[in-house]
Amino acid sequence: MNQSETNGQYLEINNLVKYFGDDRAVDGISFSVPEGKFLTLLGPSGCGKTTTLMCIAGLLKPDSGEITVGGASFTSTEKKIFLAPEKRDIGMVFQSYAIWPHMTVEKNISYPLEIRKINASEIDDRVMEIIRLVGLEDMVGKDATQLSGGQQQRTALARAIVCRPSLLLFDEPLSNLDLKLRERMRIELKRIQHEIGITSVYVTHDQAEALVMSDEIIVMSKGHIEQTGGPHAIYARPANRYVSNFIGIANLIAGKIARTTDSGRAEIEVVQGGERLILPCLLGEGLKTGDDAFLSVRPENVHAVRERPEGPSMEGEVIQTVFLGNHLDCRVRWQDFEWKVQAHPRERLREGESVFVRLDADHTLAVQP
Amino acid sequence: MTTEAAPPEFDLHTPQKWWQGLFTQERIATTFVSLVVAIAVILPLITLVVSSFLVLDDLGFDTEWGLENYRELFGDRLIRKAFVNTLMISSGTTILATFLGVSLAWINARTNCPWRESLEPFNLIPFFMSPFVGAIAWHNLASPKVGLLNNLARSLFGIEGHILNVDNIYGIIWVTGIFFTPLVYLFVIGSLRRMDPSLEDSARTTGAGLITTTMRITLPLVTPAILSGAIIVFVTSAGEFGVPFKLGTPYGVETLTTQIFTKAVGDDANHYLGAAISMSLGIITGLFIWIQRRVIAPREYTTVTGKGFRPNIIDLGKWKWAALGFNLFYIFVAVFIPLICLFIVSLHPVWEGRIIVEDFTIINYQKAVFWWSPEAIESATNGIGNSIFLALTGATIAMFLAIIVSYMIHRTKGMGSRLLDYLCLIPIGFPGIVLAMGVLITYIQTPIYATLWILMLGYITRFFPYGQRNISSIMMAVSEELDQSSRMAGATWMTTLWRITIPLLKPGIFAGWILLFVIFLRELSISIILYTAGTETLSVGVYYLSNFENEPMTAALSLAQSLLLLACVVVFRRIAGREALTA
Repeated sequence: MNQSETNGQYLEINNLVKYFGDDRAVDGISFSVPEGKFLTLLGPSGCGKTTTLMCIAGLLKPDSGEITVGGASFTSTEKKIFLAPEKRDIGMVFQSYAIWPHMTVEKNISYPLEIRKINASEIDDRVMEIIRLVGLEDMVGKDATQLSGGQQQRTALARAIVCRPSLLLFDEPLSNLDLKLRERMRIELKRIQHEIGITSVYVTHDQAEALVMSDEIIVMSKGHIEQTGGPHAIYARPANRYVSNFIGIANLIAGKIARTTDSGRAEIEVVQGGERLILPCLLGEGLKTGDDAFLSVRPENVHAVRERPEGPSMEGEVIQTVFLGNHLDCRVRWQDFEWKVQAHPRERLREGESVFVRLDADHTLAVQP
Repeated sequence: MTTEAAPPEFDLHTPQKWWQGLFTQERIATTFVSLVVAIAVILPLITLVVSSFLVLDDLGFDTEWGLENYRELFGDRLIRKAFVNTLMISSGTTILATFLGVSLAWINARTNCPWRESLEPFNLIPFFMSPFVGAIAWHNLASPKVGLLNNLARSLFGIEGHILNVDNIYGIIWVTGIFFTPLVYLFVIGSLRRMDPSLEDSARTTGAGLITTTMRITLPLVTPAILSGAIIVFVTSAGEFGVPFKLGTPYGVETLTTQIFTKAVGDDANHYLGAAISMSLGIITGLFIWIQRRVIAPREYTTVTGKGFRPNIIDLGKWKWAALGFNLFYIFVAVFIPLICLFIVSLHPVWEGRIIVEDFTIINYQKAVFWWSPEAIESATNGIGNSIFLALTGATIAMFLAIIVSYMIHRTKGMGSRLLDYLCLIPIGFPGIVLAMGVLITYIQTPIYATLWILMLGYITRFFPYGQRNISSIMMAVSEELDQSSRMAGATWMTTLWRITIPLLKPGIFAGWILLFVIFLRELSISIILYTAGTETLSVGVYYLSNFENEPMTAALSLAQSLLLLACVVVFRRIAGREALTA
């Protein structure tokens, strides 16, 4: 089979549907991942991301759709193909790590090799190589029950990659670790994935994790895809109100597109408590003049100043300040709306103070509702 | 370039025909086992229902459809009396066992009663013993004429007549009650131990006293467990055959189980009327079990957390000695004196209620136990080998079924898994003698009748849910991801079952196996319906000796059976925790 036939994509999901009872958990989604890339399915619990992953793994049988890996069909309801999970040659790291407590660390890691009936000396070599790669040298010979959370995590990863699978799946692998360890493991996982170059699909509800690790992110909700894009694009140019709200923190305010320009800019009309404002912004995808839209702007792009600035601004009152060391989180009430503002601590905004809110037009985006 | 990314050592991506998906290992194994279980459980029940509407004519040759059996059920004075007796015995037993079980559990779990850790295993011994043997022992201890205790009272205090009499309905309640006490005890002590002590502590901090806390917090939290235990006792004693048969039938106290027995094998055997009586008993017990499982068990709040807590211990002061005395009294009447009495009786050529040391003999053992001795009575000694064979093979087959059934209930979704869950409830809801009646009528015309296999079928059908519960409790605690990760590692369903699932379930499998082994070794009410000459079991041997030989021989075989069961208790305690017993 030719690479061109697969359009350069390694993993392809086509129109995947999975019901649980009457609930459409995965609602006809399609996406693809190029070889060697790291894709993240991001969304809140119940958005269908884990279900999608389980379908790729073969642990769930989709109600319809097609899953192709490297040109070979793993699942196709149309062609009535369903490959058993053990025949898919996929490595998977589970949320609970699923380290077998009745085996030693090495036995856990060598299991996939034993199943494939590889000779003993090669198993030893490959297990030791992997153990060094994931940094578990100290745990050799230990019982699986003696492992800490981070070590279980490493063991699970080692077991998933030891037989050099064609695809690597992660089901929220970091969610059971404490914050410090989680941050370290993010970098570590990314390093190892990069080193072995296996195409990976990663499921998480943690947007920071997704931004740090992924080549590409798919934001999901209620069984369908909200947006697909690189970490930077997802953060800077959310496609709609949902994504904007889910990734990072955003000020979202309803409005109407008043005017558009050719250069992808627009003006949005916002009415709030009797005050009517026209604000310049970037035009999000799929919007045209007269459309209902939401204005989306990150707190770091909202400025609260004491003197009335040039251009459109909103006069309001500082109602809350939270000092976080490197910055100051403020809330400014303007009419019925509360602006989330990230200010510099030097500005020493005080609660009760009257300020003017100004938006950074280059980082203000009109998005679909 | 080719995109066959599979490593060379592993043949992948073999194109599949759509129908190959239907014949996965998992599907074949689970379908096969579900069918076996469904047929084994449902077929005898259907036969029972159907044949209860078949009426035997006066000559006993022909049958026709009708409600005559049920009319007789309500019309026949004897059956009506048996019905009332069954209800009285079950209620009395429930009250006695609940009182004993709750107080013993509280003493052991929550007070500073001395030596309570050492007493605990003894409190559970009656659970493993045969109540039928208990009835035999108590008959020899406290029947009016030959009761050892009555004779001692007569010679020591010069009393005329007797002080104790167990050959009546109260005797049946007494023996059944002390033998079923561990059922309540196990439910309640589990609940008391798993209770978060902060629930009581927080009540104390609001100013509630010790007694208020016990009554308002502790007791309500334990109530579902007490009710569960009580219902299990009610149902089990309604289905108990051995005790009323020994202490009731010869003295005119019939119960539904003894009536079923006479209709199954007696001179005026009428299987169809027997089926009708079985139906009426089965409907009562089934209803109670359904209430326990669906209404009461889900309310056992304290079991939800499943964490190990260190419960609050109450200082009883001087009363702790009374608590100790109470507990010792229980062990004494339920374990020690019955066993000692059996030993004494078994040494006499004939038993007249008095210990005569000069007459001591081992002839009873030669006749009733030593199957190799020339004097051996085969109807009694056959049972030893038969029961050991049934217990070994039966427990193994039943646990195999239990593993697959638990897997289906907890690891697969959809109709099949829910139906199986119900199927496993059915045998628990029907007394052994009822199920055996169904099995008898179903298979009497087949080649398995008059073999050990029909007994095996009855045993496994009735008791495999007990083994299944042992496995299920562990399977629920073991993450499904442990199985799934093995599949992802390239192992087939069968390899995963063998290398991951079963090793993880090992403690539950062992516990369940030994529990079934013990139950099968002492089983009476199924065996008594299904045995024929040559397929006697241990308990049937005891029955035979008690009915056709004398008390000393009966005592000899009873003691041998009890010692075998006691040995199992020791092994059981080594392997399983006490939690494993709660059926």
